[in-house]
Amino acid sequence: MPMRTARTLLVLVGLALTGCGLYGIATDPYIDLTHHPLDIARWAIGGLVLHDGLWLPLACLAGVTIARTTPVRTGLIVAAAVSAVALPAVLRAGHHNGNPTILPLPYLRNWLLVLAAIAVITAAWSVVSHLRRGRRRRP
Amino acid sequence: MDDDTPAPRRKPYDLPLPTPPDALRRGPLREGTFTSALHEPRTAVVIGRWLGAALLTCFLTGLLSHLLQQPPGWLRDHLPSRPVNGYQVTQGLHVISGIAAIPLLGAKLWTVYPRLFEWPPARSVLHALERLSIAILVGAMVLEVFTGLLNTLQWYPWPFPFRQTHFWLAWLAVGGLLLHIAAKAPLIARHWRRVRPGLAQRRAFLTAVTASVGVVTLTTAGQSVPWLRALDLFAPRRPDVGPQGLPVNRTAVQAGTSTASAENWQLTVQGPHPIRLTLADLAQLPQTTAELPIACVEGWSASAHWTGVRVRDLLDLAGAPADAHVQITSLEKDGPYRVTDMPAGYARDPLTLLALRVNGQVLDPDHGYPARIIAPNRPGVLQTKWVTRIEVL
Ligand code: HEM
Repeated sequence: MPMRTARTLLVLVGLALTGCGLYGIATDPYIDLTHHPLDIARWAIGGLVLHDGLWLPLACLAGVTIARTTPVRTGLIVAAAVSAVALPAVLRAGHHNGNPTILPLPYLRNWLLVLAAIAVITAAWSVVSHLRRGRRRRP
Repeated sequence: MDDDTPAPRRKPYDLPLPTPPDALRRGPLREGTFTSALHEPRTAVVIGRWLGAALLTCFLTGLLSHLLQQPPGWLRDHLPSRPVNGYQVTQGLHVISGIAAIPLLGAKLWTVYPRLFEWPPARSVLHALERLSIAILVGAMVLEVFTGLLNTLQWYPWPFPFRQTHFWLAWLAVGGLLLHIAAKAPLIARHWRRVRPGLAQRRAFLTAVTASVGVVTLTTAGQSVPWLRALDLFAPRRPDVGPQGLPVNRTAVQAGTSTASAENWQLTVQGPHPIRLTLADLAQLPQTTAELPIACVEGWSASAHWTGVRVRDLLDLAGAPADAHVQITSLEKDGPYRVTDMPAGYARDPLTLLALRVNGQVLDPDHGYPARIIAPNRPGVLQTKWVTRIEVL
C-alpha cells in the first residue's frame, strides 16, 4: 500500500532529522550545555505563548469585530504581514554598532507610508464594492 | 473542523487515554468558539503547501550555505567556484523565502488555531506524541523565522549563539514537518485537489495571503535582486549604500585595522619560495579586473568591478603546487574569520583576486585596504579583508 509506505518513510526520516537537530544542539561546541539548550527552549516556548496566547486571540477578535468585509479583512492581513517584517527594522533603526551601512533607510517613514497606502486601497475597495452591491440590489 | 471525517481508527499498538471530565471543557475548549468557515483542512492544505515549499527552500539553501562556509574535509576539494553568482542567488533565495514564510506561517497557524483546543486533548499515546511533535514544529518555526529576520539586522537579543541555534532548529523544523505530513497524510490527500465550487471566503483569504507574501517580498528583496532595488523599503541593507557604493559587514574600526598603513604593510606569501611584497610590488604585477558579487550570509549582495593580482599568480611566484590549499590571514585583531581556508578550486580560479581596487578606486579601509580577497561563488565572510599573509598548506 503506497500510502502506508510513504507515511512510514516520512515518519522514519522525520524522526531521523529531529534526532539530528537534538543531537546537534547537544554536541555543538558553541552551544554551552549548561544553559543554552534551556535558553533555546525558553525562547521557543515564549514565542509559542506570545503567538498563540496573545497574537492569535487578538487576530480572531479582530476577525469577528472590525474585519467583517473582504476589503477590510484583506487590508488588515497585509498590514499585519508588513508590520511583522518591518517592525524589527523600525524599532532597531539607528543601532548599527558603528557600521552605518546597516539599516540605512528611514524605516518608520516607510512603514507608515505603506500602512497609509494599504488604508487608502482598502477604503477605495470598500467604497467600490459598496456601490456595486447597491447597484445590484436596485433592479 | 473536519466533520465529514470518521474519527481515525486506533492502531492496535496504540494506548487509549481517558477523556478528562467535561467540567474542564471551558473557554476556547468549548465547541463553537471559532466561527470562521476557514478553520478547515482545505485551507490548511493550500497554505501548508506554500509554507512547506518555503521551508524546504530555506533548508536546502541554508544547508548549502553552511557547507560552503564550513566544508567538511571530504567536500572541501570539490566545491565549485562557478557559477560566479551561485551563492548570491542561493543565499538571496534563502532570505527571500524565509521572509515569505512569515506571513505564510501566520496564516497557517491562524487557520489551524482551533485544533489547539481539540477535545479531548489527547485521545491516545500516539495522538499525544503527534501533538508533541506539532509543538516542536511550531516552536522551532517561530523561533527560526524570528532569529533569521533579526540576524539580517545584526540584532541578537537572545542569550544563545545565533548561527548554531538557527542551523540546528532548521533540522527540528524539517523533521517536524515530515512527521506532520505523515500524521495528516490521509487528510492532506483528501483535500489535495480543489472541489468546485470553491468557497468564496477561502478565495478571498488566499488572495490576501498571496498579497501579503507579495508585499513583504517586493519591499525587502531589493537587497539582493538588483531590479527590485527601487522598492526596497524594509530591507536592512541597500546594495548601493556604503563606502564606494558598497555595504560592508565589518568596518575597519570594528575589526581594529583602521591604523593599517601602506608604508609598513607587506604581504607574505608562504610557500616553497616564500616572498614578501609591498603594495608597490603588487601594483607592478599583472592586474586583472573582474566583476564579482559580494554575497553576504545575511542575504544582501552587491556586484562590483574588482582589480588586483590573481591569487594563482602569487601562488606560482611562491612555487606552490597546482593543488595547493591555502590559508589566508587578515590584520583583524580577532573574529571567527580572521584566518580563513581557501581550497585549491578557488585559489586556482582565474577570477580569484587579491584585490587592490574596487570600481577603479583604491580600496576604502572598510573594504579591506590595502588588499582583500575576492573569489567567485563564495560566502562574503570568506572574502577576507586586510590580507597580510597567504600560506600554502
Ligand atoms: C512548516 C510547516 C507547517 C507548520 C508549522 C504547520 C502547522 C500546523 C499545525 C500547528 C496544525 C494543527 C495540528 C493539529 O491538528 O493538532 C496543522 C494542521 C494541518 N496541517 Fe500543517 N503545518 C505545516 C505544513 C503543512 C503542510 C506542508 C501541509 C500539507 C500540504 C499541511 C497540512 C495540514 C493539515 C491538512 C492540517 C489539519 C487541518 C485540520 O484538521 O483542519 N501542513 N498544521
